[in-house]
Amino acid sequence: MPGFIERYGTVAAGLLLIAVFVVFAPNFATPANIVNVLKDTSFLAILAIGFTLALVVGELDLSVADIASLAAVVAGWLVQMKLDPLLAVLAAIGIATVAGAINAVGVTVLHVPSLIVTLGTAAIARGFAFMITQGVAFVGRWPTGFTGLSRGMSFGVPNLLLWLAGVTLLAWFLVKHTRAGAHMTATGEAEEAARLSGIATARMKRLGLLLSGTLAGITAVLLAANLSSAAPNMAGDYFLYAIAAVLLGMTMFEPGQPNIPGTVFAALVLKVLGNGLVLLGAAYYVQDIVLGLIMIGSVAASTVLTRRPAFANKLNFRMRA
Amino acid sequence: MAAPLLSLRGVGKNYGAVIAVRDVDLDVYPGEVLAICGDNGAGKSSLIKVISGAQAPSAGSITLRGAETRFRSPHDALAQGVATIYQDLALAPRLSIAANVFMGAELTRGPRWLRMLDKPRMAREARAYLARLSVAIDDMRRPVEGLSGGQRQAVAISRALRWDASIIIMDEPTAALGVKETAQVLDLIRHLKSEGRTVLLISHNMADVAALATRVAIMKSGAKVIDMPADGLGPDDIGHMIMTGRAA
Repeated sequence: MPGFIERYGTVAAGLLLIAVFVVFAPNFATPANIVNVLKDTSFLAILAIGFTLALVVGELDLSVADIASLAAVVAGWLVQMKLDPLLAVLAAIGIATVAGAINAVGVTVLHVPSLIVTLGTAAIARGFAFMITQGVAFVGRWPTGFTGLSRGMSFGVPNLLLWLAGVTLLAWFLVKHTRAGAHMTATGEAEEAARLSGIATARMKRLGLLLSGTLAGITAVLLAANLSSAAPNMAGDYFLYAIAAVLLGMTMFEPGQPNIPGTVFAALVLKVLGNGLVLLGAAYYVQDIVLGLIMIGSVAASTVLTRRPAFANKLNFRMRA
Repeated sequence: MAAPLLSLRGVGKNYGAVIAVRDVDLDVYPGEVLAICGDNGAGKSSLIKVISGAQAPSAGSITLRGAETRFRSPHDALAQGVATIYQDLALAPRLSIAANVFMGAELTRGPRWLRMLDKPRMAREARAYLARLSVAIDDMRRPVEGLSGGQRQAVAISRALRWDASIIIMDEPTAALGVKETAQVLDLIRHLKSEGRTVLLISHNMADVAALATRVAIMKSGAKVIDMPADGLGPDDIGHMIMTGRAA
């Protein structure tokens, strides 16, 4: 089993980074800024948890951000049409889940590598999002029944954080403590062994990709509710961040394996880093450069931590000959 | 002699025009270690794929415990008590020992719809299975990739024990192992035998076969050409039989 350093080394580094910004970044440790960072972390983390679940079953879901944008647009469209907010929410999550289902069918029925299928659905989702909005954003005075999902408070805690906590706990419980989670993990870790053990591997892959879509839908609703607007590429900025969060998360807690606590904590670290760099006066492009370095560095670190190539047994999204 | 546990009658397997197995009759009796030997391409792998449920036979019938049956998949065979320990082990290297032993058949607790894993019980039972095979490992959360080859075989066999398999098929169990680990695996097979389990051993290693088998079946060109007790047979005798297809 990986030792203490392997499991918690990058966690400690993340905490240290947060501490550095608390001390050195002007205005970082103000309540308003902290709430801001945590809210932004919530969107990213929920989206990245979806990506994590797909990766747990050994598949890449590169469509999460574009599906989220489409779902946000659908929610905004229906809210603009004065539809009941609940229906708008259900429609948005529904369309995202359908998109996840299309990914699932592409991978398990049509046998197209997830790398290709999800890039395809990403493009399709983007197209539909622009079609629905005709390229502009839906903005308006939306009912608090909708915007409150993100902006409201319950029990003295911002609703967004409750969403994050709920999704995190459910996903973690699913993966680590249920039979379905064990089957998903076995499918992603060793598909052939899982199949020989009677695990319905195709079903597990479908489950992972479907849930990834559903979580993109939830992210979309929360994003749109927070901004009272929906634009056809509104989740685009979260795309690389979500992947980076998952990859950085794979260096934490359970090195080499996609894991929920790692993803969530990594999302926080990335958002703190982005926020802190801005407060320290770094130019806007520095964030992108740092993000890229973190993505590559994380996978290299996973390899060092587990003493084997990261993704060595996650071959499903590679092109099969 | 007791009634056979498993019987094959007229089993054939062809892949298109290529005949891999032709008209094999084979009886497997309870508690024996039956070695199936043959040169590369003799048909033993294809025969084993049929017995393990990996492939359906093109012809013939399979009778298990007196009733005709068919194996729809390796898992179906496992559920009927025929477990196969694969050459490449079919373990998930990074998952824990307990997760591997119970893969696909996890123990659960709590409300049924929740299907919550009963991790303490799985760890306890996995440890007990390994102890039965005289393999003492304490921490069932260790990933199997950190174990020795012999220990990994023990984990794979524990999975068969978890299903209470009466027939355990071992496909080249020592092929990738060093001297010490080979000795460990031979011990594991002796343990299974002493528990009264039936072992089908597929091996290229004549010394292993001579040391363990109670009976030897030799395949040549897809047919079973020899089927005899292994008493008194040495490695050289078996090697000779494989090459010539005639009893020593």
